[in-house]
Amino acid sequence: MRVGRKGLMHRRRRWGAIALIVAAGLLAWPATVGAEANPMFDPQSGRARAVVDLTWVVLFFVALVFIIAEGLLIFALVRYRHRGEAGEPRQTFGNRRLEITWTAIPIVILIFVFILTVRAMRVIAAPPAGGDALNVTLIGHQWWWEYRYPDLGIVTANELHIPAGKTVHLQLESADVIHDFWVPQLGRKMDVVPGKINSIYVQSDNPGVFDGACAEYCGTQHAWMRIKVIADSPADFDQWVQAQKATGAQPASPDALAGRGIFLSSAGNCASCHTINGTANLANVGPDLTHVGSRTTIGAGVLTNTSDNMARWLTNPQQVKPGNLMPDLRLTPDEVRALTAYLESLK
Amino acid sequence: MTVELTGQEGLRPRARTPGDVLLLRWLATVDHKQIGIMYLMGAVFFFLIGGVEALLIRIQLAQPNATVLSPEVYNQIFTMHGTTMIFLAVMPLLAGFVNYFVPLMIGANDMAFPRLNAFSLWLFIFGGLLLNFSFLTGHAPDIGWFAYAPLTEQPYALSNGVNYWILGPLVASVGTILTALNVIVTILTMRAPGMTLTKVPLFVWMSLGQAILIIYAFPPLTASQAMLLLDRELGAHFFDPAAGGSPVLWQHLFWFFGHPEVYIMILPAWGMISELIPVFSRKPIFGYPFVAASTVAIVFLSMTVWAHHMFAVGMGDLADGFFAAASFSIAVPTGVKVWNWIFTMIGGRLRFTTSMLFAIGFIAMFVMGGLTGVMVAVVPFDQQVTDTYFLVAHFHYVLFGGSLLAILAGAYYWFPKMTGRLLDERLGKWHFWTTLIGFNMTFFPMHILGIIGMPRRVYTYPNLPGWGEINLFETLGTFLLTISVLIFLWNLWHSLRNGEVAGDDPWDAWTLEWATTSPPPPHNFDHVPPVRSRRPLWDLKHPEDPDWRHGE
Amino acid sequence: MSGAASAGLSEQQARAPMPVPSGADAALARTDPHKLLMGFFISSESFFFLSLIVTYITFHGATGPQAKDVLDVPLTGLFSIALFASSGTLYLAERGMHRGNRAQLRLWLLVTIALGAIFIAGQAYEYHHLIDEGVTISSGLFGTTFFTLTGFHGLHVIIGLVALSILAALTFAGDFDEGNEMPLTTAGLYWHFVDAVWVVVFSVVYLWTLVS
Ligand code: HEA
Ligand code: HEA
Ligand code: HEC
Ligand code: CUA
Ligand SMILES: [Cu+2]
Repeated sequence: MRVGRKGLMHRRRRWGAIALIVAAGLLAWPATVGAEANPMFDPQSGRARAVVDLTWVVLFFVALVFIIAEGLLIFALVRYRHRGEAGEPRQTFGNRRLEITWTAIPIVILIFVFILTVRAMRVIAAPPAGGDALNVTLIGHQWWWEYRYPDLGIVTANELHIPAGKTVHLQLESADVIHDFWVPQLGRKMDVVPGKINSIYVQSDNPGVFDGACAEYCGTQHAWMRIKVIADSPADFDQWVQAQKATGAQPASPDALAGRGIFLSSAGNCASCHTINGTANLANVGPDLTHVGSRTTIGAGVLTNTSDNMARWLTNPQQVKPGNLMPDLRLTPDEVRALTAYLESLK
Repeated sequence: MTVELTGQEGLRPRARTPGDVLLLRWLATVDHKQIGIMYLMGAVFFFLIGGVEALLIRIQLAQPNATVLSPEVYNQIFTMHGTTMIFLAVMPLLAGFVNYFVPLMIGANDMAFPRLNAFSLWLFIFGGLLLNFSFLTGHAPDIGWFAYAPLTEQPYALSNGVNYWILGPLVASVGTILTALNVIVTILTMRAPGMTLTKVPLFVWMSLGQAILIIYAFPPLTASQAMLLLDRELGAHFFDPAAGGSPVLWQHLFWFFGHPEVYIMILPAWGMISELIPVFSRKPIFGYPFVAASTVAIVFLSMTVWAHHMFAVGMGDLADGFFAAASFSIAVPTGVKVWNWIFTMIGGRLRFTTSMLFAIGFIAMFVMGGLTGVMVAVVPFDQQVTDTYFLVAHFHYVLFGGSLLAILAGAYYWFPKMTGRLLDERLGKWHFWTTLIGFNMTFFPMHILGIIGMPRRVYTYPNLPGWGEINLFETLGTFLLTISVLIFLWNLWHSLRNGEVAGDDPWDAWTLEWATTSPPPPHNFDHVPPVRSRRPLWDLKHPEDPDWRHGE
Repeated sequence: MSGAASAGLSEQQARAPMPVPSGADAALARTDPHKLLMGFFISSESFFFLSLIVTYITFHGATGPQAKDVLDVPLTGLFSIALFASSGTLYLAERGMHRGNRAQLRLWLLVTIALGAIFIAGQAYEYHHLIDEGVTISSGLFGTTFFTLTGFHGLHVIIGLVALSILAALTFAGDFDEGNEMPLTTAGLYWHFVDAVWVVVFSVVYLWTLVS
């Protein structure tokens, strides 16, 4: 062997140990950063809780195997490193009993985990007791979400309102490519596949606002296809439903009035892509804007919905969200101001 | 060493041939060793391209709302990074070692079909260049390495990028299949006398497993790529939902290839580990029959688990459950390997050469990656973390922490055989520690990122609590990895010219490749030592206690 | 064992028994490498066709014109018999080769090629007819899957025909007189495989229309 220069090896080993300790410290740090906000481990419904409970069990066994394997490895490294003994160690070729043991024990563990897995899967897929659920149809578009409430006659976009404590039966359809609906606090994600209708049950036991995102790569702006689910108390939800059912507000200020004019005119051409209920009911290329003023974000999460941001969006959506399917319409600042006033009034 | 050519060439009078020019001698070669080295050089070249792409990814993601790369460019970069690393870096790196060492380890003088072998090499090079030419058109593919339809179909992908993604890998994979066939025939028919199938070195055994997986996993990829091309260019409707085609069918066909593919990328790497852990522990592999048999189990099982990549597609509980169970079962034979490696070390006298350090690093990191693999096989957990950075962490632990660390271990182990010189150990240790630390800094935090909600394949992300810090930390890790790669490149360059002369058998090892010169002559062996056990050279060196007396 | 001696083997070691391969190991090691290569290549190819066949079955009954509406089963059946028969005639050619009967080899090889060509001609006629009726690769899922599956099979038949024609030419040039049977048996393996694939394709694509 050529690497028996002992003193050198020794020094280097200590060096290695120090490096390892530093590395371990550095690795522990992101774990604490991440712990601040951890949606998956903050489940909001029985279905989401089933995942977390299962995860802890899996984590336990995985950690156990990890510690045993890495522990044995480190034991071997420390105990059996070459200390300058002459000759070769005793040559051993294997041990049948050990082989059987380390085949059998993982099998037992995995069967156990599998049983728990199947149980959790059934909890997640189970319809609500009594079958009472609110139907919502989600339609994934490049790169925004459309929500339809067939029983309530509501159409909205990007922000899903649900009544807290009630199960929502979410049907997922796609207008173009595959997307994926994922809100960690509410449980599993589900792909939105064109030509295939999927559905999941979604519920939040308590009111709250939950972040999510499109989780299947769907093209240029996959990054800005974020989801917001707003669970309202039943009373708030009813109020929201009433507001949404109304047709788009009539412009109250002169600016807003001018804005509506531009919206309908061929200069803006907005109505060829967007619907405002009661004003322009044709198009479905872009999000429904009937109550756009009541939403908290613009462009599926890329901006918060303020007047300034709305003006930014309208001035050039391609700069805010490059590659999205709303073209830069080259509006003048005046037109932008008017449109902003109009859209922000659509509460 | 006599450098005569054997076979037909040797019979002809030697006129001045293209072979007299060094470069042409390489380009026109059919020698498995030169072909192996060219695979390695090509693969390192593409690895550097894939690595620079990774660096760009990390620079863009270092901060929230960054604008270093446009979304269009980012999407091309991550697609090319994944495709390059898989088809043009890890696979040909392994192919290089397989080409070079399988014939040597079985005592053969070449592969069974040398010209076919050279043809495969050039298909790989050509396919790799073809894929990368797409950058010159300004539209590299931007569809992800598994190219889910219908994003790859005409209305959504009008540029030629997708066609490059189809044709480049398709050409390379024809080469891959041909090499695999060649390897199978070589191993089955060209072993030295005495080397029965139960006595081949484990690297050879696992290369055989890899080759068998390749010949059954790649044709479905070729078929689905052909279908996609027909969809795009001739208006067929396989994956076009508007005309009744099925995007989910693409996923089944792709992953029927894609999952075996990940084992294709690890089997010879396991083989390397199974060779060099014993040598540096000074003990034979623990439980050879179990390590070998577990390989067979893995080859079969890996063709039954493909849809575990599709737990979010909505296949239903029955299918999900089946594929989860199949995926769990693969952990058992893989565990058998891990335990046997560790028990090879237990009771040994470990030599911590750089090669051994990488092998140990491999075990440590691969176990981590394998266990997160089992976690994502748990359907409900996967339905939370699939398509997040948790998954990115999983597969970099098995691919980088697994395959690549093993390849580096193999590189330090076999470089002296290929070049006659040892790699520098001092640089090697720097290389090892910067790699290990940089790797964990880059990829460990990704587990957390995924769990706290960051999807993969996003060109940027909102400034949510923790996201910016963790991503920045990962990017710093990548800078360290870059340094480690530079150290390695310097080590290769430096040692090639100034390295310590290795001699035939620098590690006092036991398999046949060490029974010839370094580098070996064109015909490999003047004579092949008799093979009576799995460690023919041990038997020679220890006539008082040969393995065959233990029935091994 | 001069090699063993020069490697410094002890007397006792040189006399130790060499392990001998047994069973499949031994059989494989004895097989001609070319035939082995072709055998594994064929098994690899079968996964290619399996993918196409599974795809065809997946879309069975999808919208658009259907197999049972547009395919002429008896006619293609006739052409298929030519292809199936060609496996038999190739077998006769191989038998001739084994026996050293050059005339038999040449005759049956030519018949095999002719039968293969008839099959391809039949396929060309069928395609022409279908395209006339508006069934194309882009007209619907039946067209897409039908033309892809049968087209790739036809491509394989054509490759087989080219290989057999080269071999036939060599036979007439007197190349296989010295008992070099490898090229023809290897190509023969491929031809029988292409034939066997058609058994499956014909059943799935044509005979299925008769039961539904
Ligand atoms: C070298 C490559 C490699 C290897 C070896 C593996 C190994 C495994 N992988 Fe991984 N995998 C990938 C590469 C690899 N994977 C890639 C590239 C992807 C992503 C593709 C993409 O989407 O881009 C992926 C994705 C992936 C998924 C899809 C997730 C998703 O898309 O949401 C799943 C799901 O089941 C999975 C599971 C597994 C399992 C169960 C193993 C097992 O083989 C692991 C077995 C090993 C161990 C378990 C450790 C050692 C065992 C023991 C110490 C014994 C005791 C163990 C127990 C009792 C648990 N992998
Ligand atoms: C074996 C395979 C392999 C390897 C080795 C790597 C290596 C690395 N990968 Fe890779 N990765 C994949 C396979 C691999 N990856 C796959 C399959 C995907 C999925 C793609 C998809 O979603 O479609 C992926 C995706 C992926 C992502 C997710 C992108 C996304 O989802 O948006 C990220 C993000 O950080 C990443 C990072 C890295 C990094 C930092 C490295 C580093 O380890 C790289 C280290 C190397 C270097 C840093 C190079 C050093 C360069 C030099 C020294 C320059 C010298 C220059 C010259 C001489 C010209 N990878
Ligand atoms: C060619 C179609 C098209 C035209 C014309 C068009 N839009 Fe859009 N619009 C879209 C699309 C698509 C989106 C979704 C973009 C995204 O988030 O990816 C969008 C988004 C929006 C949004 C953000 C909605 C939300 O809830 O996030 C507003 C506001 C908007 N458009 C207003 C307008 C106005 C005002 C006009 C006219 C001046 C207009 N659009 C013209 C297609 C169009
Ligand atoms: Cu929609 Cu990603
Ligand atoms: Cu897999």
